[in-house]
Amino acid sequence: MATPTVSTPVKTHHGIFSSKTAGGRMPLTPSPRRRAGSITSNHSSPFTPPRQVEGSKEHGKSVYGGNLSSYFAKSMSRTTRNYRESPKSNIARIRKSPRHLELGVSEWALAGTGPSSAQSPSKERLRKDVTTRTTRSGKTTVRIAHNAGDRFIPNRTASEGLTTAGTAKPEENQRSKASGNEGSTVLANAASAFDIGGRGTEDDITAALENLGIEDNETASTSSSSSYSRPAPDAVAYESSLADACGVNLNTRILAFKPPPPESSKPIDLRAQYNRPLRPAKSKSAQFRRRVQTAPERVLDAPGLLDDYYLNLLDWSSSNQVAIGLERSVYVWSADTGSVSCLLETSPDTYISSVKWSGDGAYVGVGLGTGEVQIWDVEEGTKLRSMFGHDSRVGVMGWSKHTLSTGARSGLVFNHDVRIAQHKVAELVSHTSEVCGLEWRPDGAQLATGGNDNLVNIWDARSLSAPKFTKTNHRAAVKALSWCPWQLNLLATGGGSYDRHIHFWNTTTGARTNSIDTGSQVTSLRWSNHYREIVSSSGFPDNSLSIWSYPTLVRNIEIPAHETRVLHSCLSPDGQLLATAAADESLKFWKVFERKQGTSASASREGGVGSKAQMTKSMTIR
Amino acid sequence: MSATKDKSKVHKLSLKGSSKLVAEFFEYSINSILFQRAVYPPEDFTTVKKYGLNMLITADDQVKAYIRKIMSQLNKWMMGGKISKLVVVITDKETGEHVERWQFDVQIFGKQSKSQRSRASGDKENPSPENADPQTPVEKTEKEIQEEIQAIFRQITASVTFLPVLDGDCTFNVLVYADADSEVPVEWGDSDAKEIKNAEKVQLRSFSTNNHRVETLVSYRLAD
Repeated sequence: MATPTVSTPVKTHHGIFSSKTAGGRMPLTPSPRRRAGSITSNHSSPFTPPRQVEGSKEHGKSVYGGNLSSYFAKSMSRTTRNYRESPKSNIARIRKSPRHLELGVSEWALAGTGPSSAQSPSKERLRKDVTTRTTRSGKTTVRIAHNAGDRFIPNRTASEGLTTAGTAKPEENQRSKASGNEGSTVLANAASAFDIGGRGTEDDITAALENLGIEDNETASTSSSSSYSRPAPDAVAYESSLADACGVNLNTRILAFKPPPPESSKPIDLRAQYNRPLRPAKSKSAQFRRRVQTAPERVLDAPGLLDDYYLNLLDWSSSNQVAIGLERSVYVWSADTGSVSCLLETSPDTYISSVKWSGDGAYVGVGLGTGEVQIWDVEEGTKLRSMFGHDSRVGVMGWSKHTLSTGARSGLVFNHDVRIAQHKVAELVSHTSEVCGLEWRPDGAQLATGGNDNLVNIWDARSLSAPKFTKTNHRAAVKALSWCPWQLNLLATGGGSYDRHIHFWNTTTGARTNSIDTGSQVTSLRWSNHYREIVSSSGFPDNSLSIWSYPTLVRNIEIPAHETRVLHSCLSPDGQLLATAAADESLKFWKVFERKQGTSASASREGGVGSKAQMTKSMTIR
Repeated sequence: MSATKDKSKVHKLSLKGSSKLVAEFFEYSINSILFQRAVYPPEDFTTVKKYGLNMLITADDQVKAYIRKIMSQLNKWMMGGKISKLVVVITDKETGEHVERWQFDVQIFGKQSKSQRSRASGDKENPSPENADPQTPVEKTEKEIQEEIQAIFRQITASVTFLPVLDGDCTFNVLVYADADSEVPVEWGDSDAKEIKNAEKVQLRSFSTNNHRVETLVSYRLAD
């Protein structure tokens, strides 16, 4: 509706008020820069009633209908007549809308010729609007405009009068006329407020006040009384708030806490702060994003697999063969060729309770329900020897070079030197219930055992008479044990159904360094050789595999792995695949730690580089 | 008889509690401003839960002690109802120019209405709704108050989006508009208002308790 020349000020106007007054619904973007140019603000927080402001703005718009230039042109020519007739039409013009526009046109003469015509169109608009209703034989344009503006002045002064203080003298003058004597007292108050609030403006204010006094004398008799007879409620509100503000100011002192604030420890760049990452960027973010296949690579049947948490019936050798104990038989599945062979079958009165490959992958130790431990040469398919000693089933075994450690239901752990006839070289007495977890540290210096007595024992290989540490934190049987491949003294242990925790131990000091509540029975734990991660297999209720980042302990992924609890797991020699056996009688292979092509980070890990490359290849063929 | 006694007691306590709450609000405001406007480096701040938000408070011993000193006096003034404004002024260290001014206007309801009547009684016969408002404070639950405070802190935090970036080293000062008859300890002295020239002002949200109303206003130097 407005011509371009007009429309810009309209926006400005709006911006001013909205930025100052919107209170609770304040938009956070600052108002346009323009305002600072027109108004020099030395003061703060006028109590401007926002609603009124909007009213004035709309009113201004509607009255002058948009064609400002034409108004100007016409008004110029009619100036004199306009002056003469205006006083009489004062009241009528307020009321009668039909004549509104026409009158408005003539009135613009005042604005156009006036000394303050240089002021922004928005003000002129307002002035014009104002003149349509109260006209009198004003002496100057300025005065008339503001006399007429009694209804609007409070709004404007509320925002501008206060903020401008003494700097915009014409406005002060206008304002005083607008509200007459009353107005001037208000202003005086305001001025005194300024006096206190902003000392810099004192001179201006006095000057402004002097002007006020003079102008008031001139104008009060002629016009102001009538226009002030009907102060709008807004004006009342404004004045009271202003007076109130003044009153408060008069009675207060501004006190500053004088001691200087402490120096900042270093210069701060605010921008840097905004760009601060929420947590320090480390290599792990890339790991987070690595994709883990959630479908098994391969599924094999494992009929007759005993659903017994305390047994350890699955192992993967360094020569890439998987041994699994199924009831009375041990089967060896070659990952290279995919061929399966039955290694042995026990006598009908017993069953396989554990299998474990020797470090070189040539032999497999087999624990039986009777307590007998057999060692088989896999290539030959022959039993090398049987070792007796345990009187109860051997649920777990572990090799350290030529030493085979066996844990039995009795709670006893024996170390067997498989090379000599008198094989039993040590008896580790600590557990009072079935030993179901047993893991040598890769360097053979420490042995960790976990039992149904909820204990974790950490043994020093050099003194096996008593455990180095006995950890009682778990509240259920501890089957899952795993030594960290990259930090020798870090051990992870997982508890059973009533515990559900994974604890991480520093086995040098015996301190618990971390814990995870997994939410389900932990049946096995395997560290990744390649990633800073550990995979745990779960029993009830999840039956899943979870991959955790260490040391952040963030669960990167949870794979619903089996239909029933995952009983055993083992990693392939290249560390990429995880084999899991579950009570649903299936053996599944998962690519949980898949390496990108060309990475050789695991070169130093167990197993040779060459053989590993070969294995990787063979596994994809399979 | 005992009932009335109880009532008055409760009222007294609530006024005291309200002062405490407002003072506490100031403390967190000062800390938030110091953090948000990078008066002190961000690593000097720690997070605490307050008002259902993560509030950042300084962990620097010196700054802590400095704020504690301010707060101890502020608490006394608040209890006495002596304060009408608290202002945090951020000043450019090099030029000495005031670049940002956070003003918290405090209205005490009982006092406010009194002064209003004495000041403005002659002029108007019917107070406008704005005036009536503080005289009839609505009973608020603690939760409502906390939500209002929460909204203010959210706004303070969000204000970094429109406030100009503060270049260089800045320091801060705390001003208090206190009644003329207040007791003033030696650390406090008269000051000018430390207004900002050419300021843009943005009114933020306000909150009120049953006894106080606190309005927040930030003024800042316009970029030129």
